[in-house]
Amino acid sequence: MGKYLLRRILQMIPVVLGTTLLIYALVFALPGDPVAAMFGDKPVNQAVAAQIRSEYNLDKPFIVQYVLFLKNALTLNFGNTFAGQPVVSVIGRAFPVTVKLALMAFVFEGVFGVIFGIIGGLTKGKWSDNVILVLSLLLISVPTFVTGFILQYLFGVKWHVLPATAGANPGFMDLLMPAVVLGSVSMASIIRLTRTEITSNISEDYVRTARAKGMSNRQVILRHVLRNSLIPVVTYLGADIGGLMGGAMITERIFNIQGVGNTLFQAILRGEGTLVVSIVTILVMIFVICSLVVDMLYAVLDPRIRYA
Amino acid sequence: MKKQSVLTIAAAGVCSMSLLLSACGGSGDSAGSADAKGGSDTMVSVFNPEPANPLIPSMTNEVGGGNPIDILFSKLVRFDSKGKPRNEIAKEIKANADNTQYTVTIKDGWKFSDGTPVTSQSFTKAWSWASNVNNKQLGSGFFSNIKGYGDLQKEGVAGDAQLAGLKVVDDKTFTVDLSEPSSTFPIQVGYTAFAPLPESFYKDTKAFGQKPVTVGPYKFKSWEHNKALTLVKDTNYKGGVVVKNGGVEFRAYTDPTAAYRDVQSGHLDVLDTVPTSARKTFQSDSSVQAINEPGSVIQMFTIPTYMKHFGEDQEGKLRRRAISMAIDRDLIIKKVLSGTGVEVHDFTSPAIPGYAKNLPGSDVLKYNPKKAKELWAEADKISPWTQADTFKMAYNADGSHKETYDAVANSIKNTLNINAAGNPLPTFNEFRSNVQGRKFTDSAFRSGWQPDYPSPESYLKSNFDSSAADGNGSNDGDYKNPEFDQLMVKAASAKSLDEANKIYQQSEEILFKDLPAVPLYYMNSNGVAGKDVKGFSFTWKNTPDYASLSK
Repeated sequence: MGKYLLRRILQMIPVVLGTTLLIYALVFALPGDPVAAMFGDKPVNQAVAAQIRSEYNLDKPFIVQYVLFLKNALTLNFGNTFAGQPVVSVIGRAFPVTVKLALMAFVFEGVFGVIFGIIGGLTKGKWSDNVILVLSLLLISVPTFVTGFILQYLFGVKWHVLPATAGANPGFMDLLMPAVVLGSVSMASIIRLTRTEITSNISEDYVRTARAKGMSNRQVILRHVLRNSLIPVVTYLGADIGGLMGGAMITERIFNIQGVGNTLFQAILRGEGTLVVSIVTILVMIFVICSLVVDMLYAVLDPRIRYA
Repeated sequence: MKKQSVLTIAAAGVCSMSLLLSACGGSGDSAGSADAKGGSDTMVSVFNPEPANPLIPSMTNEVGGGNPIDILFSKLVRFDSKGKPRNEIAKEIKANADNTQYTVTIKDGWKFSDGTPVTSQSFTKAWSWASNVNNKQLGSGFFSNIKGYGDLQKEGVAGDAQLAGLKVVDDKTFTVDLSEPSSTFPIQVGYTAFAPLPESFYKDTKAFGQKPVTVGPYKFKSWEHNKALTLVKDTNYKGGVVVKNGGVEFRAYTDPTAAYRDVQSGHLDVLDTVPTSARKTFQSDSSVQAINEPGSVIQMFTIPTYMKHFGEDQEGKLRRRAISMAIDRDLIIKKVLSGTGVEVHDFTSPAIPGYAKNLPGSDVLKYNPKKAKELWAEADKISPWTQADTFKMAYNADGSHKETYDAVANSIKNTLNINAAGNPLPTFNEFRSNVQGRKFTDSAFRSGWQPDYPSPESYLKSNFDSSAADGNGSNDGDYKNPEFDQLMVKAASAKSLDEANKIYQQSEEILFKDLPAVPLYYMNSNGVAGKDVKGFSFTWKNTPDYASLSK
């Protein structure tokens, strides 16, 4: 187990190096000159522009820029944004909000997804199953921004139940609607996944055996059916944490949440390579760590899986 | 200011684009009807993109920083709501005989928020610091007409080098020597970059940028990045702006649609733009109060002189006029813009002193399909336009210009019976690179202008003078006409602003003939405010009159 963990952690190094290089190259390849854009369509003072370029190393070849970035990153110096703020503090402000939002969405989709999935699976073919089926298909097929705008209008503007946008220092109530919107599509997928797993597992031989042994229905469902059905759900949820954080861009724009998605979006438009790469690197690490945790959880859920 | 900005921000909500709009000028005297007892201490909250730069006047060239800086720092002059300059810190700004030297006297008793007095040096040192290349100021170009500017652009210039053209006579008087005559210098100094700075600024410019020491109707309270920038009324303020609220909270938004929802639900007081999604409905929306009135932004498209068939010869002139007369602007304003623009009559805007509606030759901006066809046919005799040719107009697709340019292309296509199409580029950044690199040799391109100071000069000289061509300014079509240039010089040496404005109007008559750019419409100032907000109005530069807001 320890060896396995170590190997997985060492694997992260090439993954992070590769992604940062790739992202850096992509940002570098974006057309347009970020320094000229700072002047808008004012005539560019070339002397000033040259000074700014050298301050941000933009006058150097791509690979030199990348190596300089890596060198600084190793000493935890990520440099400054074009606005003159340390990249670290920009990230420090953006991540807590997005983490809060992603966790709320995660809990929402996990809890409701599994509950409705179980109900659907256990009442297969009945009206409750059908209602859940239709609703989950609806949520999957409607894009997030549509759900977002509709909920925002109804709850925020029309009925005044929840704040229309999250505001500067969002609390639980402020993030409730965005979290529901963000988690809704994944929740629907989890409902489908759980329901399918349960309906297939419930007719397996081992379930029949358990019942034949005289176990109560409750025990059969909880200890055998559910435990086995949750393995793919856990995989899905684990992979989704990273998705929720990176994919919050649309939700964050709709509800004006100043989180990772919004910051990343603006950094891309401004062509701020270091900020984009720093944010993406952190997102990559979250992805990698989540998938590691998921793999560990397998062993807990399925005694047959052992890592060595 | 930068071209194009407003639409981009407003419509697309692409906020990095907010980089493009600079703010300038001052808060006007507004005749807002705030009631005397209520409201004078309430805070009002307003939409604002997060400032892209530290809060240093000469570093700021976009609305996000420009809006707060404008009410934090008084300048020598301010502008009333009509764009007329009034002395603010200046007691007098006096020109010499040929407008090449100005003597500035400042009023007594003005103090920065740290208690230090405003002196001549507060101006001269600040302007020299901003011009110095080592300080990397985006607004340095504003000082380029002051003598000695060139010396401060050289490598290795001393950090405390002063502009040779600025001479301190005494604590309250200084003189400014200009490289070229300028009748509008007394207006230019109303732009944010010309604000005075206290001595403490030079000790720690970084700290100042996060927490400025100010000298205006408002003083700095707090700045939570990406959340809110809060200013409160400065009770020691000595100038002419009447402040009717206790403070202004600039809330950071990246998307105006979200802000619109907040105004509708009562969580935000003022939004100074209208998201595209609400363009058709905002004026009839009963949950907000709306303003939609002519502003100072003009939208055009430039036909570069280096474009085939459109050179500065007879053929080019005929074709330009034919294109202009082939566009049914009224229909576009009504159908595409839903009335958020006004029909165009010149190259400036109705919100500016010096604007005139019926200048001779301005009928070239009216839809006249018959005449357009004649002119086009005449040009074809010089050099034929074939079926293989397409009249293209480039624009940035991250703003909401597609509909407009599709409509313009259709109008041209139907009238002249030629191929015409929009030419979208993905981002503003890329679009501008192509313009700056003179890559549009077979395509016209979108241009627009918001003035830095309320004078026709800011529109005409910046966009069409030869000195602004070839990458030295915003004359991106490289239009050159000595006759026009001469009038610019003449206006700059005029004895009064009125006299200068008359000359600017004459110069526009030349532009009507040459059409270096084809004006499309004046963009309206528009926005919404909460039902309980009083004194909601716009200034000449399309920003809310913050001081007159109350609840």
